[in-house]
Amino acid sequence: MSQSLSQIRPFEEILAALQAAFPDDEFTVEAKPIDDTYITLVPESVRPVIELLLEHFDIYHLSTITGDDVGDGVCLLYHFWSGYGITLRILLPYEDLHMPTLTDLIPGASYYEREIQEMLGVTFEGLDIPGPMFLPDDWRDDGGPVRYPLRRETGA
Amino acid sequence: MSRITVPIGPQHPLLKEPLAFSLTLEGEHVIESTLRLGYAHRGIERLCQERTYVQNIYLIERVCGICSHVHTTTYCQGVEALLGIQAPPRGLYLRTLLCELERIHSHLLWLGVQARNIGLETIFMYAWRDREIALDIMENVSGGRVSHAVNIVGGVRIDLTPEHRDTILKQLDELDRQIDVLLGVIENERTFEARTRNIGVLTEEQIRRYCVVGPVARASGVDVDLRRDAPSFPYDQLKFNVPVRPEGDAWARTLVRTLEMVESVRLCRQLLTDLPDGPTTARAKRRVPPGEVVSRTEAPRGEVIYYIRSDGSDKPARVKVRTPTLTNIITLPDQLKNIAMADVSVVISGVDLCIACADR
Repeated sequence: MSQSLSQIRPFEEILAALQAAFPDDEFTVEAKPIDDTYITLVPESVRPVIELLLEHFDIYHLSTITGDDVGDGVCLLYHFWSGYGITLRILLPYEDLHMPTLTDLIPGASYYEREIQEMLGVTFEGLDIPGPMFLPDDWRDDGGPVRYPLRRETGA
Repeated sequence: MSRITVPIGPQHPLLKEPLAFSLTLEGEHVIESTLRLGYAHRGIERLCQERTYVQNIYLIERVCGICSHVHTTTYCQGVEALLGIQAPPRGLYLRTLLCELERIHSHLLWLGVQARNIGLETIFMYAWRDREIALDIMENVSGGRVSHAVNIVGGVRIDLTPEHRDTILKQLDELDRQIDVLLGVIENERTFEARTRNIGVLTEEQIRRYCVVGPVARASGVDVDLRRDAPSFPYDQLKFNVPVRPEGDAWARTLVRTLEMVESVRLCRQLLTDLPDGPTTARAKRRVPPGEVVSRTEAPRGEVIYYIRSDGSDKPARVKVRTPTLTNIITLPDQLKNIAMADVSVVISGVDLCIACADR
């Protein structure tokens, strides 16, 4: 077993630490197939929770961030991995598609956030965006309404 | 000293796929660099929502032109988990056999490209000649050299006869000999060392901050490999080592990948000799019950992750693909800083980029 993974902490320990650190928050926990656990929380808690995961449990590997238009808003899933998967899930309502960026904590998150911003229109405050990364340069210049390719209202 | 901005790409002989760099030079050295993806963006994630689970297998095979099989493996593994079924052991062994053959083929292809960028045309010729053996084996197994179309939800659509198996074992012996020759060159050739030592160095700290995966992480001393750390059947039944080097430069990346090929040949032999009897597929329903799954596998370039959400119909509601290139490419601006213009090609190809994967 590798050095970094030799200190894998059981999920129950991590959850207990989260509940102790944020007693007012409600964490909904769901076990998912292939060794993954989802924790649903409110958007404001994501940053402090990730800070705690980084500092106390050394869970540094953010596999990716999934953006998913679920019909009543855009769901963001932060997929972490440290011997097993931990996914933080939040739901952003369409009226308020804003999140603070994670790039100051995890610089590796920047491309994931840029992709979600382009594809789903979630604004990450504090994220440095020099220009589009996946979509054409003139994607927004055709005079029509802004189209986000992965939104439900946009046809394939 | 005045600064010059040099654009590289999206179409450039150095790059095998479309990717645009803008390098700011001061004299011979790179001061700053930016990169732009998207020239091979095909909207595969969105297209997956319009197709059935079965049709998606063939679409997802086209995410990547090199590691096509590992993408369908990750996808099928996820859909099988959603369905609550398990592919039979023989099916999983054959699936894994192709994954390992693909790793050898991908690493040999990369070694050729890297050698050519360095100027070692002979190694390029050798590596690509030996890659043919890996391609021949894959053709033997699946009928296809690059796109295999082997995975189906619930197993694989192929089977091996004992004669097949003996032929492949002989071909593996030859492959093993050739990889040994290449390994000797990488370890002893002075030109190779001179061009790759201390070039494009990434520290363990940078690897962790950028969430880097695969051989690039392992060449910087981060000992992580999903085949061992989150083993799915049959990796938990097999014996193999995970090569790790502490140097973090382009040389260490080459060595790690070559040593990985040796391990992959070893894995292929075990998979063939221990191949269990029985069926290769399990029955799978067309409609998938509502649910979500995160499926991870170790591709040649590192961790591939698929997120699949089902709403109970025969089409997935969301398929998210994150390929290893998308996370490894983020280190390039750091790696390119303060290196000579002549070393840019070694650094860029040292990461083993697959732009089709990153763009999807």
